[in-house]
Amino acid sequence: MLDHLILGLTAALQFKQFMFMIAGTVIGLWVGVLPGLGGPVAMAILIPFTFSMDPLSALLMLASISVGAAFGGSVTSILLNIPGEASSAATAYDGYPMAQQGKAKVAMGLSAGASLAAAIVGVLILMFASGPVAKAALAFSPAEYFALAILGLTVVSVAALGSTIKGLVMGALGLAISLIGIDSILGAERYTFGFVYLLDGISFVPVMVGLFAITELISMILEGGTIAKAGKLEGSLWDGFRDTFRYPFTLIQSTAVGAFLGMIPGIGATAANFLAYSVAQRSSKHPERFGKGAPEGIIAPEASNNSCIPTSLIPALTLGIPGGATSAILLVAVTLQGLRPGPMLFTSNPELIWGFFMGLLIGAVMATILYLIMIPWFALITIVRIELMAPMLLIVTLFGAYANERNMMDVFVAIFFGLFGYFLRRHGYPLISLVIGLILGKLAEGSFHQALMISDHDYSVFFLRPLSASIFALCLVLVLWPGVKKRLGHGGAEVT
Amino acid sequence: MSLDTSARAYWREEFSLIALLLLFFIAIVAFAYTLPFDARLFPLIIGCAGIALTLAVALEQLRRHRAGAVAVVDADDPATRADWPRYATALLSAPAFGLLFWLFGFIIASFAAMMLIPLLMGYANRRRLVVSAAITVAVLAVIGPYLLNVELPQGVVGDWLIDKLALRAG
Repeated sequence: MLDHLILGLTAALQFKQFMFMIAGTVIGLWVGVLPGLGGPVAMAILIPFTFSMDPLSALLMLASISVGAAFGGSVTSILLNIPGEASSAATAYDGYPMAQQGKAKVAMGLSAGASLAAAIVGVLILMFASGPVAKAALAFSPAEYFALAILGLTVVSVAALGSTIKGLVMGALGLAISLIGIDSILGAERYTFGFVYLLDGISFVPVMVGLFAITELISMILEGGTIAKAGKLEGSLWDGFRDTFRYPFTLIQSTAVGAFLGMIPGIGATAANFLAYSVAQRSSKHPERFGKGAPEGIIAPEASNNSCIPTSLIPALTLGIPGGATSAILLVAVTLQGLRPGPMLFTSNPELIWGFFMGLLIGAVMATILYLIMIPWFALITIVRIELMAPMLLIVTLFGAYANERNMMDVFVAIFFGLFGYFLRRHGYPLISLVIGLILGKLAEGSFHQALMISDHDYSVFFLRPLSASIFALCLVLVLWPGVKKRLGHGGAEVT
Repeated sequence: MSLDTSARAYWREEFSLIALLLLFFIAIVAFAYTLPFDARLFPLIIGCAGIALTLAVALEQLRRHRAGAVAVVDADDPATRADWPRYATALLSAPAFGLLFWLFGFIIASFAAMMLIPLLMGYANRRRLVVSAAITVAVLAVIGPYLLNVELPQGVVGDWLIDKLALRAG
């Protein structure tokens, strides 16, 4: 093992690899800040440039983009309440209220601290647990995947304590929207009404841009002034960075949630981000502080999405099953380099694999340093007049919606969801449930049908397998718990 | 707007949203019937669950409405405090930008948005406005095609003009 670590470190610390990592991190931070343009988009754009590179440089540059984007995505979530990356959406719930209180630098310090710690833990898990974890993940049958998708939806819907039913309605709406397009079982067209655009389903990016960016823009224009209400900035970056480690339980818990969900193909960092936030809120001694600028509300989502990214590479590298968009693109890059993902990759190319692992560790530290250098400049946004900033944000966000697929229809979809989302949010419908429903819809339906096919259409398969039955029981407890808690006389925070 | 008028508007919006959601879920169920069994099973489950949940929300809200819950309207809600020109600017900025983007392309739509939205919001410093509009549009015009490899569309009218004047290269 020590030989492998030294081998990896020697490979990753070569000047050439180092420069590719810096380039990847800067690109990642930059695209992470732009709403709609996430790490996977930048990685996909840059894949053709990696053809001529050696395998380690190509993988390190692409992975650095992903790490940088995860860091950068939190910037706009905190400063503007507009997630730069889907996987940073929950960060806005407490990051933005902190920015409104003039503590944008503290919030970004918290984000940097949590991201760094979680990314390091995630890479260590990737290094030392790849083999056993990959075997354990194979024990999950489609029934468990379906149960997990429903659990994800339930946890997030229930987090809106004041309006559990509204949360569940939004979850059902997200699932229903995910049904649009060609169905994955028979290839039948559903709800397309002859529109070619709808054949691929409603793309996730314009919906996110609409629900989070346009709705926030409408509120900003109505409110006017500046984001930091007092018009000045308080607190320092280091206060936030240091404060991260004053909440060790939240940090460890959320890192574990992200790392676990990363290992399960199809769940992804976005779901992990929301789930970790909900879990942190539920387990907090002061849930009423969430949504009003609680440090745990920033630590939880940031820790989870940054630990999720490295662990999502476990099924990709060991089994060839991508855990999400990022690992799918990395798999493409590995294949394009003439390599075959799987257990043999570890024995035939130890220098590449361990160099890649060490590069991810160095990349996390590098992303933190670059992020910390850039934060003071980013934070100034909160004291710019909204009259000037609103049109700039409108242009950039709708450009992001267009740039994702270069399709004008995506712009209209973003605008529709923006206006619809504004009224939904105003009436206490939690938009996160809609997003989670949309993300998990395909996984839920696919695994639902697979489970039924395997069991010869016996619906009891979901309740007779111990693991899926336990997950469904947990869903039931979560749905009933707010009512029980209300009767017992406890309050809670509301997340919309 | 008085709090009473705001409360009436709130309930009107609330029940319109519920009706819209109910209609959507009914459509999901209704249009599923033409699909083969395996393709309609999941939509039927989700659609029926959606209808049941939306009806539960409707009942809950009806109960609150009958109880005369005026406290639903937050006095600090910017939508309640905003005058109609600002409210119209907030709601129509994105659709108007989308329409301009589609008709005249990204550059013209962006420049129009940068110049008009601040003016409609009451921003008075015109020199700063022109400078920030020019810089924003110029930066995006460079970043889009050259760094992100995203061609900026010229819009329906722009494309028609380019074809009409035979300006297209090649």
